[in-house]
Amino acid sequence: MKKTIVVTLVIGMMTMFGANAQKAMDTFMVQVDGLGCPFCAYGLEKKFKEFKGIKDVKIDIETGDFSFAYPAEKELTMAAVEQQVEKAGYTPIKSKIERANGKIEESAAASLSENNTGTVTKNVMVAGNCGMCEARISKSAKEVTGVSEISWDKDTKMMKVSFDAGTTSLTEIEIAIAKAGHDTKNHKAEKGTYDGLPACCHYERIAK
Amino acid sequence: MFLSGVEDYKNKTDMKHIYSLLFAMLLLTSCQEKESLPKEWTFSRTIQLDGVNPIGIVEMDGKIWLSDGDQNRLVQIDSRGRIEQTIDSLDRPMHLDAQGSTLFVPQYGTDNIATITDSSVSVLSLKDSLDAPAGFSVYKNEKAIADFYNNRILYHNGTDWISFGKEGKANGEFYYPTDVQITDSLIWVADAYNNRVQVFDKTGNFINMMGQNQKMNAATGIFVSETEVFVSDFENDRILIFDIDGKLKQKLSKNIEKATDMLLVDKELYVINYRNGQINVFELKEISPETAVQVSNKKE
Repeated sequence: MKKTIVVTLVIGMMTMFGANAQKAMDTFMVQVDGLGCPFCAYGLEKKFKEFKGIKDVKIDIETGDFSFAYPAEKELTMAAVEQQVEKAGYTPIKSKIERANGKIEESAAASLSENNTGTVTKNVMVAGNCGMCEARISKSAKEVTGVSEISWDKDTKMMKVSFDAGTTSLTEIEIAIAKAGHDTKNHKAEKGTYDGLPACCHYERIAK
Repeated sequence: MFLSGVEDYKNKTDMKHIYSLLFAMLLLTSCQEKESLPKEWTFSRTIQLDGVNPIGIVEMDGKIWLSDGDQNRLVQIDSRGRIEQTIDSLDRPMHLDAQGSTLFVPQYGTDNIATITDSSVSVLSLKDSLDAPAGFSVYKNEKAIADFYNNRILYHNGTDWISFGKEGKANGEFYYPTDVQITDSLIWVADAYNNRVQVFDKTGNFINMMGQNQKMNAATGIFVSETEVFVSDFENDRILIFDIDGKLKQKLSKNIEKATDMLLVDKELYVINYRNGQINVFELKEISPETAVQVSNKKE
């Protein structure tokens, strides 16, 4: 009889702790742009493995919906999640966190993932063909407040840009360049804007 | 009477010669016609897989193996697509290769190359670290790895490993390479998101490029035969077939849905669809001159 009570208590406590452990998970949902193939989906999953304790990772290639659970005690921020999405080579469109305590956080991504301060220099691929492209890319980047230096190599298609991370972000700079008609690694120009470029500037589009 | 007999004989002999000549000409003409008929890959049949989303395909000891990335496993199938063997507990196996009785499996999730012989799994020893290996090729004593996130190819010439490529769009640069194949004197790379194939010599020097004008959208897989280069155009649901010099020969689209890899099996072309778990088989068939003209016009 004693044994039965002890076993029941142990099982009861384990169930209680198990239930608590399950409850103490935050759920993250991110809509990701640029997921097209299994290589992309597995890549995103791989980059998130760096978050130790991640569970229930789900990725829908068709919709770009990405979700996972993460221990609430680690207080993972939305900015950190979006930064990791960018690190994997993709663009977060919108994010939502359902905290274990019931609190809901939502964001339309854009520039949340870069909240550093001071001047930083980053390299990113920007599509273009010619000298006119170079001028357009430079101009659109320089018009973003906080950008101090920009160079673009038409052979390698790589842009090197220095900016004040407290004022702007690489995402904002890429968006500005895409608005001017040039695909970047993470942002695609509108078709109409691309079509409106001079013939010599009709570069091969970045598909991803 | 004697004269007419001689004439008869002569006439008969002449006729015989004429018949022989005609027969020879007929034979020659028919041979010539047969040789000149062009051939193209034509859809033959579909092998439906059950619960497999294949990424890579390889033949080993006469059996077909597929990497099933979604299920973290390899499966060996029979001619009707039924699973005969499974190797589990892999981490996102991708474009695999085989030599002898050993399978070489790039594991995208754990950054290594698994070598599997008789179900015994070990890991290929590498000094360099990988970031999402997506493709592997073995040829004689040579090996190559498509190192996806590092935008490079690692190549072992039998003695040393060399690395070539970096992120970019210029010749010799990559934007997420997903597959690689070594042939006798060259290394072929599916430069996925630059939407092209790049060809290198065995010191990593850029030699050639193909498919860059075909508006591909994610060139995820490559297979090179003695005479042709097959490329899967993932998002456009096509297989592009080039000659060895990069001239486009044919586009396949029938039943192709998110194709990731191809393989020649007994002179048949096997194309694997990631999305709907199908292998579509194509045969090289002669086509009529009229169809050949239509095909040629279509390509242009």
